[in-house]
Amino acid sequence: MIFTVVGNYPKIPNAPRPAKLRQAITRFQGGELTQAELARVEGEVTEEVIREQEAVGLDLLTDGHIRWEDPATYFARGIDGFEISGLIRYFDTNVYYRQPVVTRALGWKGPITVKDLQFAKRVTNKPIKAVITGPFTLARMSRNTHYSTLEALVMDLAKILRQEALALQAAGAAWIQFDEPWLVRAKQDFPIVQRAYTVLTEGLTTKQTLLCTYFGDVQGLPPAFFKLPVGGFGLDFVTTTGNFDLLKRQAWPKDKWLAGGIVDARNTRMQNFEELERAFGQLTAVLPAQQLHISPHCGLEFLPREVAYAKLEQMVKSLRQGVPVL
Amino acid sequence: MTTPLLPTTTVGSFPKPEYLLTARTQYARGQITRDQLKRLEQQATTEWIRTQEELGIDILVDGEMYRGDMATYFAENLEGTKISGLVRSYGNRYYRKPVVVGPLRRPRAITVEWFEFVQRQTKKPVKGMLTGPYTMMDWSFDENYPNRRACAIAFAEVIRQEAEDLQRAGAQYIQIDEPAVSVRPEEMDLAIETMGLVTKNLRAKTITHICYGDFEQIYPKLLQIPVDQIDLELANSNFDLLELFKRSPFTKEIGLGVVDVHSHRVESEEFVIAGIRRALKVLKPEQIYVDPDCGLKTRTPQEAIDKLRVIVNATRKVRQELEVAHV
Ligand SMILES: [Zn+2]
Repeated sequence: MIFTVVGNYPKIPNAPRPAKLRQAITRFQGGELTQAELARVEGEVTEEVIREQEAVGLDLLTDGHIRWEDPATYFARGIDGFEISGLIRYFDTNVYYRQPVVTRALGWKGPITVKDLQFAKRVTNKPIKAVITGPFTLARMSRNTHYSTLEALVMDLAKILRQEALALQAAGAAWIQFDEPWLVRAKQDFPIVQRAYTVLTEGLTTKQTLLCTYFGDVQGLPPAFFKLPVGGFGLDFVTTTGNFDLLKRQAWPKDKWLAGGIVDARNTRMQNFEELERAFGQLTAVLPAQQLHISPHCGLEFLPREVAYAKLEQMVKSLRQGVPVL
Repeated sequence: MTTPLLPTTTVGSFPKPEYLLTARTQYARGQITRDQLKRLEQQATTEWIRTQEELGIDILVDGEMYRGDMATYFAENLEGTKISGLVRSYGNRYYRKPVVVGPLRRPRAITVEWFEFVQRQTKKPVKGMLTGPYTMMDWSFDENYPNRRACAIAFAEVIRQEAEDLQRAGAQYIQIDEPAVSVRPEEMDLAIETMGLVTKNLRAKTITHICYGDFEQIYPKLLQIPVDQIDLELANSNFDLLELFKRSPFTKEIGLGVVDVHSHRVESEEFVIAGIRRALKVLKPEQIYVDPDCGLKTRTPQEAIDKLRVIVNATRKVRQELEVAHV
């Protein structure tokens, strides 16, 4: 069993700890810091959040996505043919992101996140999970003014992000995760996702790949979803109870991992030991613990840093050692 | 004082003057007292009343000089809440989100003193300004109630108390903002239910402001929100929203947003006149109140004033046309 996070980690702590990154970005925007000086602070903060993940006892870490302004912009800036436009709301959250606009045929410019993976690997001996905003979600988060169909856009993104995945595999990513929260919102588009993932994963030899969904359940997707060419699926067990129902109804595919998001990453309320045990028990009832990742149900940036830390600590202590925390 | 046809108003917040921003920072650092800060908040409020009167706006607001975030301000004044650590909203912007930690209770009136402070200084009607129960729930962490509905209903009760106190203090217009309702169309019924709890005993004209969303998803269901007037942003979509009203008529009064609050550029009078005329094709003149798309707090004071002047002048011209046509 692997304890991990879905992706991002809160960028700044609260007083008395200094909000280093926030101050650095303010100074960078005011012309008081160079790009290189800002990058140095981003590195320091990345190391800080890696240490926090180590301290709570996670088995698989991310770099916390400290350098990402949001899941769309960070990739769109690295792909030829995107422009970045105004703020729009990120799903049903209080968070906004800058919407990428597809202005011409998209093209691969080179690795986007490989240097981040390399940085993280220098800082820790723990395995690192690389996260890519999946082609379908990146397409749906963007405004398309070039391609005649959504599918054409998704397929081009799949080709581009395949290069990113191959580069991450070559650079030694322990796991590669494709985030597809848009899939739970637009299940009717599954056939597009299915075709895209054939292209996206072509040539990937690692079996340690995940397609990660959150902000809802995957009920109503066709059975072919669980046959997609990835090593496992990330499912959200917090937003709705739908994924629990699904586990009861159908056998989990023998050769796939399940990444279960069972800790609520959108509310400060701490779940008690019994709640977590119960959720955990419903997962281990249908598949062996060796096929499980356990994590919060989405990225941790919706929470203040200290609450995020407390939730991870509670997750690992309660479920690994059976020590009731709270 | 009677209100003219096509009354002009604003959505609520105005930019804080430089001296008040400085004072708020000083107060946060413990360098000035609560009383010193309050005197400056009153000074800035009075300045905005004078400005609104000089511009000729028909229905005034207090400008929210004493508020930070629209959800956090109310949460800070309720029992059963605390304020969280910082969470990021976008880019390098962070805010403190309210946390509901116990049963919600309103120990005392929150905005009535400010309402009275402003109403004393003008003969024009002043709007009472509140944040709605659905938005308060959606923009808070909830560690106390069993589900979102229970939390929103609890917020509705304390907001109802505040709204009724405003009415008792003489408010003829009470605006209860619900910017969050456009985000989850599937929860529209909850927003309708909880607004009903707030407005059920009110005789004052009730208004709700809604923004940042995909209106096609919630229109015409939006019209079921139990208020007299719905205030919408139209300028930032070039008034295209009006097309929806051709398919399904807008049955309430509308607060017609005619200038974009996110752009520095001041709109031309022609742009605003064209927008109002376009609205008059699908709405009766008696249905329309004219205002900016949203609160003006993110603009500079000068930009805000310039945009308001365009609104007042453009509205006057359209009003004259209507009156001439009537004679
Ligand atoms: Zn607004």
